[in-house]
Amino acid sequence: MHEMSIAMNIVDIACKEAQSEGASTISIIELDVGKLAGVMIDSLKFCYDSVCKNTLAEGSELVINEISGSGHCLDCATEFEIDSFMALCPNCESYKVDINQGRELRLKAVTVN
Amino acid sequence: MCDTCGCGTPGEAVTYRKHGDKLHHHGDSLLHTHDHNHDHTHIRSIAVEQDILGENSLQAQRNRGYFEAKNIFTVNLVSSPGSGKTTLLEKTLSDLEGVPCAVIEGDQQTMNDADRIAATGVPVLQINTGNGCHLDADMVHTACGELELEDNSLLFIENVGNLICPALFDLGEDKRVVIISVTEGDDKPEKYPTMFDAADICIINKIDLLPHVQFDVQKCRERALQVNHHLKFFEISATSGEGLPAWNTWLRENIKKQH
Repeated sequence: MHEMSIAMNIVDIACKEAQSEGASTISIIELDVGKLAGVMIDSLKFCYDSVCKNTLAEGSELVINEISGSGHCLDCATEFEIDSFMALCPNCESYKVDINQGRELRLKAVTVN
Repeated sequence: MCDTCGCGTPGEAVTYRKHGDKLHHHGDSLLHTHDHNHDHTHIRSIAVEQDILGENSLQAQRNRGYFEAKNIFTVNLVSSPGSGKTTLLEKTLSDLEGVPCAVIEGDQQTMNDADRIAATGVPVLQINTGNGCHLDADMVHTACGELELEDNSLLFIENVGNLICPALFDLGEDKRVVIISVTEGDDKPEKYPTMFDAADICIINKIDLLPHVQFDVQKCRERALQVNHHLKFFEISATSGEGLPAWNTWLRENIKKQH
């Protein structure tokens, strides 16, 4: 379950940021997670609480902004929203689609005290 | 006990062993923090805007630079458990006799795969990830330090058998190779698209068993291309040797390109 490593990275980055700001607790960690990032949000939330224990983030809230996917067709250049890697161009029905957005896995902000 | 600061938190259980080595540990746990003396009370938001896997990506880039400087062509082999990665490696290494090669083996437990590779005479290091479900760039960095890789060589990294988690972790490899065997379903690319999206090459293995199983090679290729239209394919039987020459030629050509 790679969500555990991801949760560990999140809390690690957040704690370092909070410490460098001289904060004593973290109340919110905010993420941007793309729909094609390969992360199960429920699993991530499950791991998050256990990883937070005995850190500055213990008891904090995890806020996740889901980023929708988008891609463009290499055959006809149409840009369109996608929600899976098997993306079919709605204009020419080609599968030659490159992804523009949706792989994000970013720690956006932390709220500290 | 944590080996970073001596507190009660357990350290990581990743181990690195050469064939015949005793157990020794590397790695440390960065997560836990300790009491903090400052006294601030105002609530504020800090903009961070950091890639969550940024640390891994950075280490992967360092690895990539190291491989480039030493002219090492690096292949990351990923698949479900039991697709035949180790058998494919054994056959490939014996076919590539004369080409300097090294292998990093990733498994949760045991030296079994490293022992099989060591029997071919090729230098190998086993990473046991403990509870970990994938290799990361830092593990590969440590393993490379132990292996003393030759210049102008070929490095195979056999990832932990898992078609999900390793997709997200760049190791610094030149090419990522996903292996699917015909004893699995031909809809694997559709079921596990993240891995097929992240791969450069797809090997369809155990093709000698095609007469005995309901696996449609064409359908599998089509589905994989629908996920990732950049994929290049090899159809192989590591057991019978069918299709291996094309794979070996591709590896040799890539070593030459590096020069």
